[in-house]
Parts: sequence; structure tokens; C-alpha cells
Amino acid sequence: MYGRKACQLVKELASGEKGQLTPFNSDLFEQVVAECTQHHLELQALIRKMQEEGLDVQTTRNAEHHGALIHHLSLVRNKRCLMAYVYNRAETIQSLLWKIGHVLPQEIEEKLCHPEVEYFKKHSAALKSYMSKMQLDLTVDMVPPKDPYIQVRVLDDIGDGIVLSDDKTANFARHSMHFLKRTDAEQFISRGLMEELTG
Amino acid sequence: MTKYYEIDDIITEEEIVSVIFQKAASGVGIDPSSETNYIETGSKVELPFWLAHELQLRQVVSINIPPCFDQKTRLEIQADCASVDLRSRCPFFYEFGCKIAPVVGDRTIGFLLLSAFKNRYKEVLTKAHTAAFSATTKFWSILTNEEINLYEAAQSSMASFKKWRIGGPRFQKAPVLGRKRKSTQ
Repeated sequence: MYGRKACQLVKELASGEKGQLTPFNSDLFEQVVAECTQHHLELQALIRKMQEEGLDVQTTRNAEHHGALIHHLSLVRNKRCLMAYVYNRAETIQSLLWKIGHVLPQEIEEKLCHPEVEYFKKHSAALKSYMSKMQLDLTVDMVPPKDPYIQVRVLDDIGDGIVLSDDKTANFARHSMHFLKRTDAEQFISRGLMEELTG
Repeated sequence: MTKYYEIDDIITEEEIVSVIFQKAASGVGIDPSSETNYIETGSKVELPFWLAHELQLRQVVSINIPPCFDQKTRLEIQADCASVDLRSRCPFFYEFGCKIAPVVGDRTIGFLLLSAFKNRYKEVLTKAHTAAFSATTKFWSILTNEEINLYEAAQSSMASFKKWRIGGPRFQKAPVLGRKRKSTQ
């Protein structure tokens, strides 16, 4: 009560490492929402009591008024914590798109709740349509590379038959080395499926 | 209001302060020591700062100085700032101090924060740039959150500088994916 559970929810967010998501705690979330309803009911009960005594609700400052005030402030505080929880998670999800690309890996998808997955998909679709209208790929590295091709070693089995941007198919078996265009390799490297070989 | 969504701000405001109720309040079970839902005038209650602050604006309570700014801490800070364990007192020492100062009406808090920060900042920077890993963990436990942010910023700038000199790969696995595999180099 009185904002403690809501603060616990926010602390959970803070406890994860920077940029990492914790699993969506829907139990605690719903508990906080239930607390809000409870605060609201108690607030209404106190206001009703004041009205029954015939006092002017707007101006009287008696004990019930202060109790109602405390309930109201707790409600607003709960709202703030819930909003901050959802907002910060949404921001992290937005940045995910830029770091990892349009496909959500399994381990991250389990941490998101259903509306958040929808949010990611819609955001990614919006970005794709924007990029296709501009005919510009915004997700590549901002610094122009010295060499358009890089050497990579494949860390995980991606499979074969992957079509690259110059319409060739490549077979990405594990531990094989390839000489690829930078733009193709970047998305695999950021997902951890390949590594760059330097020197 | 610009800090509405900031997590650190929310956690800072959750710090407990002890207040004295100037007026009575009924229908609230916030005081764990009283059996009824009624708070008497003059009773001393521990409230989170966000509640105490709002109630003080409406003159329902009066706030006492929290224990992390009391005389004992002040003497310790004057003696040797760099080794005072601020984290156990209050992990958001500076932010909390800034919020408390106008409310409690104590002018010396500002000077206290400033002098503590100045002296500790030097230590933070030197340790961030030079210390080996084993020494840092003990030092970390006495820093507040603000100081830790500075420390990490300094360390990451050192790491980027070294990387630029040696020339590592520009592209690495996105850090958000966790530690299942070590990132390249």
C-alpha cells in the first residue's frame, strides 16, 4: 500500500543492467493496479463521510480531508510508477530495433509481454516503410567503412540458402569463413551469429 | 516535471523521512505502529519523501532532518570524505540532499553536499582511471549512484580510448543480448 509495491516494480527495472530488460512482472503490475482501485474506493468513502456530516467538501480541512488527500497522493504516485515502468521498457524496446534489427531473438521475446511484442512489430514495420519510401537503409553503421568487404567467421549455424544483397546464395555453416559485403554481415554480427576477423 | 519518467528520481523520492503530523488524518493505515486508521496530531510517523513533501506543502506535517544528514555524518565527512560509506546511508545522497534542502529549511546542507562531492570526485576519477579490478569492488560499495555513473563514464572513456589506439573491430554483438557468448575481442 501507499506506493511501496509500485516502487518495488520500478526498482526491478533499475536492478537490471543498463539496456537489459527484466521479464515483465505482470503479477506485480496487476497488484499495483488493484491497489489504485482500493485507494480510490477509500477516497470515495471518506468524501462521502464528509458529505454526510454536511461539511463543504471543497474547503473543509478536517481529518477526513487529510486522509482523502493521502489516498489521492498515493494513487497519483502509483500512476507515476506504472507509467514510468511502461515508458522505460518501451524506450528500451525502441532501441532494440536499432541494435539488433527487425527480428526479435527468442531470449528477449520471453521477457516481453504481449502488447510489447506488438509494439516492437509495429515500430519495426513503420521503420521499414519509412526506409523503403526514402530508399535508404538507416540501420547500417553511421561511419563509412574503409573497406566495403569484411572477413567473417560464422559462430552459429544460420543455414544455407541465405540470399545476400547481390543476389547470391551463401551457405553459412558453423566455423566457416566468408568474405562478405559489410552491409550484409552487419546484421549477423550484431545478433552474435558471426564475428569479424581482423588481421 | 521533466523527471516524471526517470527511474532514479522515483527511487530517490521513496527515501523515508520522519515527520510529525500537525493535523489529524483519518482513514489511512499508513502508520504501522497505531492500531486504528486514525493518526493523531503530534504523532511521529515515517513516511516516504514524496508523501511527506506534498503534505508539508499543505501544512499537514513538518519534516525532520533525515538521519543521513545528521551531525554524525557531517563530522565524518569533515574528517575524511573519501572513505565515508555514503551508500549505506543513502544511495542517492546528493539528489536526496538537493530535494530535502528547501523543505527542511537547513541552509548548511548545500555546503555539506558541495564539499563532500568535491573531495570525493578527485578520488573517484583517479581510481577510475588507474585502479586494478580487485581494488575497485571495495571502493564501489561506498559510492552513491551519481558517483558510480561518473566512475563508469570515466572507465568507458578509458576503454574506448584504448580500443581506438589498438584498433579493435568496429562491430560487436549487441550488449543487450546477454552473456551467453563473449563479445568479439
